[in-house]
Amino acid sequence: MTWNRIDELLGRRVSLRALALLRIAAGFVTVLHLRPFLDAARDGRIYRDSFYEPYASWYPELPRSLYIALLWLGAAAAIAMAAGLMTRVSTALTFGIVTYNLLLSTTHMHNNRAYLVVVLGILALAPCGRECSVDAWLRARRGQPPLDPSAPGWPLWLLRFEACVVYGASGFSKLVDRDWFGGTVTWDRAMHARDRMATHTPLPDWAISAITNRTFHTFAGKVIVLTELFIAIGLWSRVTRYAAVWLAVVFHVSIEVTSSVQVFSYLGIAALVIWAVPSTRDRVLTVDVQRAAGHRLVAVVRALDWLARFRIEPGPPGSPTRVVDRDGSVREGRRALVFAYSRLPVTAFFALPVLAVTRSNRKATTALPA
Amino acid sequence: MDTRTRVVGRRIVVATVVVLQLAFVARGYTSDHKEFAYQMFNESTDWRADIERVTRDGEHIPIDQDWSGYRWDQLVDTRGLLEPASRSHADAGIDNQLAFLDAALDYVARHTPNDTETRYLQATVTYWRNAHGPKVVVLRSADREEAR
Repeated sequence: MTWNRIDELLGRRVSLRALALLRIAAGFVTVLHLRPFLDAARDGRIYRDSFYEPYASWYPELPRSLYIALLWLGAAAAIAMAAGLMTRVSTALTFGIVTYNLLLSTTHMHNNRAYLVVVLGILALAPCGRECSVDAWLRARRGQPPLDPSAPGWPLWLLRFEACVVYGASGFSKLVDRDWFGGTVTWDRAMHARDRMATHTPLPDWAISAITNRTFHTFAGKVIVLTELFIAIGLWSRVTRYAAVWLAVVFHVSIEVTSSVQVFSYLGIAALVIWAVPSTRDRVLTVDVQRAAGHRLVAVVRALDWLARFRIEPGPPGSPTRVVDRDGSVREGRRALVFAYSRLPVTAFFALPVLAVTRSNRKATTALPA
Repeated sequence: MDTRTRVVGRRIVVATVVVLQLAFVARGYTSDHKEFAYQMFNESTDWRADIERVTRDGEHIPIDQDWSGYRWDQLVDTRGLLEPASRSHADAGIDNQLAFLDAALDYVARHTPNDTETRYLQATVTYWRNAHGPKVVVLRSADREEAR
């Protein structure tokens, strides 16, 4: 019985639109990741020209020219993957080359690169090139019917598990470390950065004094740890998911601003799309397109609705903007507008707090007429 | 309709990834490099090291001087090891940093064939883990064949 339920979950057909979006972002992130290796190769240096440490003596190392060619092939494959050109092949190739390069030396290993390998590996397993891709465009151009954009959901569930592990493992390791949870770690880093904050940032003295205050870090340490754990757990519940996604964006932006983390922030933010409900065009946005504002709204939603949340329908002249959610609840006017923006990846970060403050995310009182 | 092979294949792939990932997370608490364990910003540790070559006749010579046509900063330029004498932050924790330094000593010992004088390299590392310490640890490369 349990196996049946597990098999049903793994095999449940869902939209892979989010993975298609992530594929595009991961392609660009991979190019960013490979860039330092390519820059070094252009200057005539590769990993084994100075200290490196192979993971295993039997791990194959290529001749110099072949290794450099492989890096360029990896970058080309990543671009093809982003474009969705020969998607299965280009994604598998990107994954293979990035993984090979990562495992060449212990000195190549970083958390962000490990996460990139995991994301690429799962994308390689999923048919994520059936939409938002050159492959789909070519197919349409040849007059062939589009491939079913839905597929068994197991790669998506697996990626959700991995994304959750990134935040959860990081948060848990800090939770069990007395120095971290007690604030010593962040306080010590702040103390080291105090002179730099004074000379290289516009922070006023009182702010620097607060940031380097030991008591402040007794709380800050706990807030950081609990934030990571909240993201890891909160992403799983529909009640807390939007808050967790919003916090995750703040978390990644903060890290990007204060630390050097290679591609972690870009990848972390891009991967948040996998938490969107994997169904498409199941909300109806009705807009009076006769009005200029309505016309603009349609243009914005069409351009930014990358996750294909909305089906847009023209409303009667003079009618308010209206959104019918997937559960049948209805929002009108300003509430509908804020709700629509809260479901677009680019505007969600700004619209979600407005939605929370105005409480318009509650189920609408207006029911749809039968 | 999914075939039985597909259904079982899915189970195996998902179970393998989940088990492996959890194993990596658990392993992260004892391994130096914490691969796939995602223990980010795990410490606030500073470290510095005095690295010397110990010659056949027992002389200790700092590696900030060139030797036999070699320079430390040309041989080791990654993972925060470029200027070991300067106090710096151990990005991924002190265990990780010590493991890299230990491996770097062995690398230098193996990749300096023109040096027939050095018996081994030695690093005296001082570190301050999460504002505690300092603690001192001594690392040593393998003995070099060239100096025998």
